[in-house]
Amino acid sequence: MIAHLWDRLAEAKSRLAPVQSKYRVLFENPADPDAPAAVLVPDPNWMAAALAGGVLPPIDTYQRDRTVADGQPKEHPYAEPIGPMTEEEAVEYLVMKDIDPQVWRDYEGNRCIMKIVPVELIPTDRSFRNAWKINQEMEMAA
Amino acid sequence: MVSFIRRPSMSTLNVSNISDGTDTVATGYVVNGSAKAWGNLNGSGTPAFRDSFNYSSVVDNGTGDFTHNFTSNMANANYSLTATGTSSYAFWSVADNTGNTLAGSIKIRAYTSNVALADSQLIFSTIHGDLA
Repeated sequence: MIAHLWDRLAEAKSRLAPVQSKYRVLFENPADPDAPAAVLVPDPNWMAAALAGGVLPPIDTYQRDRTVADGQPKEHPYAEPIGPMTEEEAVEYLVMKDIDPQVWRDYEGNRCIMKIVPVELIPTDRSFRNAWKINQEMEMAA
Repeated sequence: MVSFIRRPSMSTLNVSNISDGTDTVATGYVVNGSAKAWGNLNGSGTPAFRDSFNYSSVVDNGTGDFTHNFTSNMANANYSLTATGTSSYAFWSVADNTGNTLAGSIKIRAYTSNVALADSQLIFSTIHGDLA
């Protein structure tokens, strides 16, 4: 019998050291073009569980659960856990789990609305935080 | 000689009551009363969790506006959230853009006493309710 995801998370937190990811995900909401760019920050305990494996459910269970009404049984808590991921795979998993599909799957415009970047590229000065947009200039190789 | 102790694998203990020898409570009090998620977020500089449980990520939506995503989702949107932080912040909004909570995430906003969104070094959150 597979333990509930919440129980697996509790057990994992008791034995795994948290891992601060070196990546952030910048994205813009195509449905709200006036909103500033958002920044997704992976949780350190979640990242530790993703790297260790045997804790998190397959990403497609979350995607199927999006269509299940509140109060109805969900698939992801009791799904068979997946194995270890690399940090890059874990960030891709988070994109599909925590960012709306209209950003990473359905957008058909020609503007770049999502970038996975090293944390060093995120400004620490938040004076103009609500004016942040994703830089559209592409660096061309010589 | 070096010996290793194998960590026991996780198992389920099915009991109706828990007792310390003096007091006894039904297991349901413990299960239902436990926080299902909690977090201590640094909402300034480069925002990141200091520590947390059952959050997969936090999304920095703009000044003083953070979405906390659950790893193990709640059963529905009828859960309870307690959010607080630095004492100079007077009001905390706990809803999405439509004013509703969601089973998979919660939005927390920090306001100053002038009702302006502002970043805070300390953002605490605790969720109670039923898991999916």
